[in-house]
Amino acid sequence: MNEAVERLVDLRWPSQVKSAYDVVIIGGGGHGLATAYYLATRHGITNVAVIEKGYIGSGNSGRNTTIIRANYGIPEAVRFYQHSLEMYGRLEQETGRDVMHATKGLLWIAHSEAGVRQERARAEINTAFGSKTEYVDPKTIQDICPQLDMTGQGVWPIYGASYHPSGASARHDRVVWAYAEGAMRLGVHVHQRTAVTGFLRDGDRVVGVETTAGSIAAGVVVSAVGGHVTTLASMVGLRLPIRTHQLQAFVTNRYAQAFGPIVASSGLGVYASQPAKGEMLIGAEIDRAPAYAYDAGHSFLRSCAFRSIALLPFLRDLRVLRQWTGVCDMSADYSPIMGFTGVPNLLVTTGWGTWGFKAIPAGGEQMAELIATGRTPALIAPFALDRFANDRTMADRGSAGTH
Amino acid sequence: MTIRRLRISCPHCGVRAVEEFVHGEIPTIPEGIVEPEARDLDRAFMHTNAEGVVVERWFHAFGCRRWLTLARDTRTNDIPDNRG
Amino acid sequence: MHAPERLHCTRIVATPTALDTAAWPGGAVVLRVAADEALVAAPVELDVVSDPHAIVEPETAFCGVWVEVEEALAFLERECDWELPTERPAFAQGAVAGLPVKLWFAADGDDRVLFVVPAPFVVDFVERWS
Ligand SMILES: Cc1cc2nc3c(=O)[nH]c(=O)nc-3n(C[C@H](O)[C@H](O)[C@H](O)COP(=O)(O)OP(=O)(O)OC[C@H]3O[C@@H](n4cnc5c(N)ncnc54)[C@H](O)[C@@H]3O)c2cc1C
Ligand SMILES: [Zn+2]
Repeated sequence: MNEAVERLVDLRWPSQVKSAYDVVIIGGGGHGLATAYYLATRHGITNVAVIEKGYIGSGNSGRNTTIIRANYGIPEAVRFYQHSLEMYGRLEQETGRDVMHATKGLLWIAHSEAGVRQERARAEINTAFGSKTEYVDPKTIQDICPQLDMTGQGVWPIYGASYHPSGASARHDRVVWAYAEGAMRLGVHVHQRTAVTGFLRDGDRVVGVETTAGSIAAGVVVSAVGGHVTTLASMVGLRLPIRTHQLQAFVTNRYAQAFGPIVASSGLGVYASQPAKGEMLIGAEIDRAPAYAYDAGHSFLRSCAFRSIALLPFLRDLRVLRQWTGVCDMSADYSPIMGFTGVPNLLVTTGWGTWGFKAIPAGGEQMAELIATGRTPALIAPFALDRFANDRTMADRGSAGTH
Repeated sequence: MTIRRLRISCPHCGVRAVEEFVHGEIPTIPEGIVEPEARDLDRAFMHTNAEGVVVERWFHAFGCRRWLTLARDTRTNDIPDNRG
Repeated sequence: MHAPERLHCTRIVATPTALDTAAWPGGAVVLRVAADEALVAAPVELDVVSDPHAIVEPETAFCGVWVEVEEALAFLERECDWELPTERPAFAQGAVAGLPVKLWFAADGDDRVLFVVPAPFVVDFVERWS
């Protein structure tokens, strides 16, 4: 669909903040809005407010590189992300909105024997738990992506790759708007430019939030604040296995040719794809020191450009157009944290780090089910916060590291 | 967007880009956590992750290979006592 | 630039005062890599420093190359984004071409710069000159 002719999103902003809601969701990113959307559409729960301190999508949901994939390294994650990937495939039909979803296929490249073993293992575990990934040889890699330098500039030779044909992308802000529109149409309140500054308590229980627009009582409060989750949790004395790290990305000017797949390399720590407008979109790893700042750096650009050129030499002739930063809620085991917190009536969805855009549909759907039923759905039970106390961490760094 | 800036002044080597240093967190377990098991859990997984000023360590890997201790504001990446 | 060659150095860890007052072998290049550590580009006797607890060990993990000052500065102009010392002789260390490099600017009259690079990075270092 042509961007210019699509009808405008019909966002029905509430005229005022009510003094009480059944559910208050803090954070108008993809996860908060999708949770509200599924509460309304699947469970008929519409007395819901989403409280957003900036504008919707101003956090990581509007800053990411939009890669959707399910090729994770542990069974629980493969199942969860595969479900989310399938939900993305139906999202346009479900919301009636063009979110520019496109299936592209994803190559995850190995530059060493160890890398080959890892990509073979990924293919095996994906296949075993319901996703599609196969191991491919250099010849096939070249067919899929002729622009790759198979010698890796002599330093990063390409030995093989795992290929995930269902790897996809979607336009991030359209996803945010589609969920917001659908939720608001059913009566959900989304309050922008309103920050949560504290919690209302009754003994241990959380019974509402303090905001810059006054206090709001709530039956259930959900934290969906991305990188700021520790700050919020500390207001109720809750400690989390989260560190907030900056993640940067950049886009180049238009590359005249079509670049089909998404290409990632753990060895080089970079990944690249081409959005619909034709630029090249490139991302890398988080910055080492935890931070909440949005500054962007030249040395990141230099090193990331250097590494991506080793993979895709044509990038040398392009120019960097824009560079930006998000602040990511990195969990200790590189898996998400969803559900109960131990503080009565306070739920959390976090640990989305550098990988949570693909999880927005399933994360929202499952959190909504948990709120509506009071029980943790089986799909997300492994990702409960108490796994850290129970020696059940979901370690999957090799799959979540960058995108 | 502001262009980065985070530079650290090493007393031995001079002012250098942050990329020359390895970051080290100083773990802090709140005193309110008293039970040994709870302290172990906190030590293993939890982080103060302050949105504000943190005191932390930096190892000058590209230079003198010594540790510095500095306060940094994580909201701005400003190191108030260490302007380069 | 020629390829850097293996340096036969001595690494000395001792109190700062002991290092300040040491009688180094004549003509040897002494790189003061930290307040309590020196890298001397020559064999050194155990007793050159007065600190009884000093550690004095042969160190062969570095390679070095002397470069004419003009050529060196042209390279550093491109590959080094921190401030270089202006006095001579002088020692400096930090990221050069993204690698951990130590620099020795020889005394006035000897217009050369010694580049010292950890041996594993020599290949990358040479590549950055081309
Ligand atoms: C550069 C970059 C690239 C990425 N690439 C990918 C990718 O390719 N694929 C992928 O799957 N994931 C990717 N991610 C990760 C993904 O963007 C996030 O995991 C995801 O967007 C998280 O959504 P969220 O709703 O949890 O958080 P956010 O979108 O960050 O939303 C949180 C919201 O909470 C608000 N908020 C915070 N504090 C308060 C408060 N006190 N009161 C009220 N509101 C508050 C914020 O303003 C923000 O709008 C990337 C991230 C970055 C930064
Ligand atoms: Zn130093």
